[in-house]
Amino acid sequence: MPPADAPAAERPAHAAGRPVLEVRGVAVHFGGVSALTDVSLSVAAGSVTGLIGPNGAGKTTLFNVVSGLQAPNSGTVTFEGRDLARMPPHRRARLGIARTFQRLELFGTLTAEDNVRVGLESSIRWWQWRRLRASFPWAHDVSGDGARAAGSRVVSLADRLLAGVGLAGHEDQQSSAMPTGNARMVELARALAMQPKLLLLDEPGSGLDEHESEALGTLLLQLAADGMAVLLVEHDMELVMRVCDRVHVLDFGHVVASGSPDEIRADPRVQTAYLGAPSGGARPPGGGR
Amino acid sequence: MSQFLEFTVLGLILGSVYAISATGLVVTYTTSGVFNFAHGAVGMIAAYGYWELVTHHVPGALAMVLVVLVAAPVFGVFIEWLLMRRLLGDTGERPVMVTLGLLAILIGLALVLFGENRGDTLSPLVNGTIRILGVGVTAQDLVIAGSAAAIAAALRVLFHSFRLGVALRAVVDDPELLATAGASPVAMSRTGWVLGSVLAALAGVLLAQQQQTSLDTYTLALLVVSGFAAAVFGRLRSVPLTYAGGLVLGLAVVYFGSYAQPHLGTLGPDLSAALPMIFLFAALIALPSVRLRAVGRLSTLRPPRVATGWESLIAAGAFCLVALACSMTLTGTVAGGTSSFGVILDHTMAYGIVGLSLVLLVGYAGQVSLCQFAFMGIGAFLMGKVAGGGSLLGLLLAAVVCAALGALIALPTVRLRGLYFTLATFAFADAAYTGIFPDTRVLGQGLNVGQIVLPGLSFGSNRAVFLLLAAAFVLTALLVLAIRRSLLGRRLVALQDSPAAYATVGLNAAFTKVAVFAIAAGLAGLAGALYGTAAGTVGTSDFDIFTGVVFVLFVVVWSVRTVSGAFLAALSFAVLTHVWTNGVGLFAGAGIVLVGWTPNGILGIGPLARLVPERWIGRRHRATGDAGSLVGVVDGREGEIRAAG
Repeated sequence: MPPADAPAAERPAHAAGRPVLEVRGVAVHFGGVSALTDVSLSVAAGSVTGLIGPNGAGKTTLFNVVSGLQAPNSGTVTFEGRDLARMPPHRRARLGIARTFQRLELFGTLTAEDNVRVGLESSIRWWQWRRLRASFPWAHDVSGDGARAAGSRVVSLADRLLAGVGLAGHEDQQSSAMPTGNARMVELARALAMQPKLLLLDEPGSGLDEHESEALGTLLLQLAADGMAVLLVEHDMELVMRVCDRVHVLDFGHVVASGSPDEIRADPRVQTAYLGAPSGGARPPGGGR
Repeated sequence: MSQFLEFTVLGLILGSVYAISATGLVVTYTTSGVFNFAHGAVGMIAAYGYWELVTHHVPGALAMVLVVLVAAPVFGVFIEWLLMRRLLGDTGERPVMVTLGLLAILIGLALVLFGENRGDTLSPLVNGTIRILGVGVTAQDLVIAGSAAAIAAALRVLFHSFRLGVALRAVVDDPELLATAGASPVAMSRTGWVLGSVLAALAGVLLAQQQQTSLDTYTLALLVVSGFAAAVFGRLRSVPLTYAGGLVLGLAVVYFGSYAQPHLGTLGPDLSAALPMIFLFAALIALPSVRLRAVGRLSTLRPPRVATGWESLIAAGAFCLVALACSMTLTGTVAGGTSSFGVILDHTMAYGIVGLSLVLLVGYAGQVSLCQFAFMGIGAFLMGKVAGGGSLLGLLLAAVVCAALGALIALPTVRLRGLYFTLATFAFADAAYTGIFPDTRVLGQGLNVGQIVLPGLSFGSNRAVFLLLAAAFVLTALLVLAIRRSLLGRRLVALQDSPAAYATVGLNAAFTKVAVFAIAAGLAGLAGALYGTAAGTVGTSDFDIFTGVVFVLFVVVWSVRTVSGAFLAALSFAVLTHVWTNGVGLFAGAGIVLVGWTPNGILGIGPLARLVPERWIGRRHRATGDAGSLVGVVDGREGEIRAAG
């Protein structure tokens, strides 16, 4: 296990730096209100890119544009060089884009484990009879050992993913009955189950305590070290500054600043737009924990 | 030319009838977010009330005021208080179910109080005939046409020029936001129901006066159904568009009946009765797709526990023993008829399979279908026609053709919002029931389905046929439970819980919806074929659209998320339809009031719920992974998933 604060230099060279996601000149209007105006940014493989800004700055709208839930009025989104325009959300997901939601979108009546299983099994198509059959209950209950093992392997994978986000022992809990912090981790585990190339995280840290937040940071660094591209929307500045390689600041639908965490911390425009305090404090007023 | 004018005037008057009922629907929908299937039934009750008053020598005008301006508002307040308040903002299947339940209970009440129809007609409020463009028009027709236009104009002004009207329209968009703006969503919704009831009562009384036939409970209650198309034409929002849609529909029906139908002759079934539904289907297909949105609304429903494989096998075994014991009481051959106990047993099994298709569709996937009985009818038809009737091929084709037909209906409509999808299934059911089944070449009054003969097995005796149906029910129940515990079941539930998340994990929502609808249609077709073979002869009345709707209510009342719910629904439905026909609607209606309190139905309440533990029991292999092994898990996943397949 690499140390929590693995420097960027130690990451696999093949992954780092190659832009996976490119957003160019994206604009979204709701009626007369402009949610995003000419937003451009890119997210590189093997890195964590931060996206910060006050509430209503357009961060979630940008996530919706990338994942296909919102069509932009103008601009392009490309993923590994492919134009995503007109591509429905489920096809984008199959290309390797996974996301979590700021306002939880869990499968509320399923258990935590089944939430993750839906993600794990998402690559199985209806015509893949053998794989489909392995998911049927008789594979566990009444048939031979081979099928039982195949079915239980998915279960154990789901449980290991849940353990990986700190939810060991919560597998059989109904997900809508979980506290927000845990529920966010179920969403994260479900997204990871898809083995994405690009992971969009919408405020994963809210609802987590200090320890959990630190573990989340460690996890994100590990994922990036393994070559995943992570785009992180987060209000917890400590977390953002610790894990991000690059940070974009969004305000009123514009990217007002981009740079390394240190540059962002020092940028006066950012301080007025978002951080508020001129002393360069790492937390937004009243926003940190 | 003069003939054309005459048809046009007739069409406009018919259109006004549609428009009056459709604007009432739109008012209730815009102000409460609920599509009121019972709108026509409210009008029907009002018409009967008016009729009672008039026969007791109350002057017509006074009776009208009493019914429309006194009784109807009180009724609206009562309905809002009793049923609708706890459903405000509910986006699931319950609001639709509750208004369907209201429809059932009002029809049930009318049947008990007034009978199926009254021999006499209501005398019109105004008499006389006026000639317009050389066409004779009764004064009553003019009153209707005038009222339709006046109501549309008044509502348009109310909704756009008054603060109350704007607030009323806001209820459906976001009750919480409306509350923060200082208006009470409950008060607004109540106002909407009062307004809707008044319009329904007015329409009911006016239309009953206009009907040249006797007062008929079903005709009056379902008259508004033709208005659905006009309401959808106005996208359930715009009163002027709805009014225009009503007029266009009226003209289309009259022109079609006068010009096109005579040329079709006996080529096809009589489509003029089904035309409003074809219109509705077309209007629905023209609607824009619903946009996938992350709504952040978490489903907090606690579903009943799903039985494990062994549990369901043991239950199936026990069920088979009971079925075997019941079959011992059956004697005689199918051709010789069976006892009413035998009929109840057969019907329980056939309806039970339809109930299971609803568990799959409504309970797991959250799609409300009102056309399962139409698929049953098609299944019975195929069973009777293919290879001389009663063949194994017919049984298979019943399932396969219905599944294909289901996919065909679902393909253009699953992209719509849930309510519109339900309306599309209703349109199909109504078109089949009124336009296709009555044709003597289809079902007519009676189609001999024939006894089933499987290779090496003859099912001539009542006992054997019942056992065949019971076996089919048990196998279907096992299949439905197996689907629920497989990845298909997880996907169906996931899709119902969060369509947005479903898409963002890479799953195609439209495809899943079409697939589950096709499977459910196939099961209903199979049930119809078995129903037909057990009954020997089936007619159009066996697959009545209203009966089909009431059966859906039965399943929801018992518990649409469990197999036991489907069985108990089928049993109680079969018993009630034989013992107390008028009570069927009353039971469904009374039960549906309950659904406002307990979303899991009767099997979800109190002590019963403890029998079906709500907690999910896991008896699976636990992982041994520790918190630090995540990256390894992600790495290894691909290979392991492949191996799992």
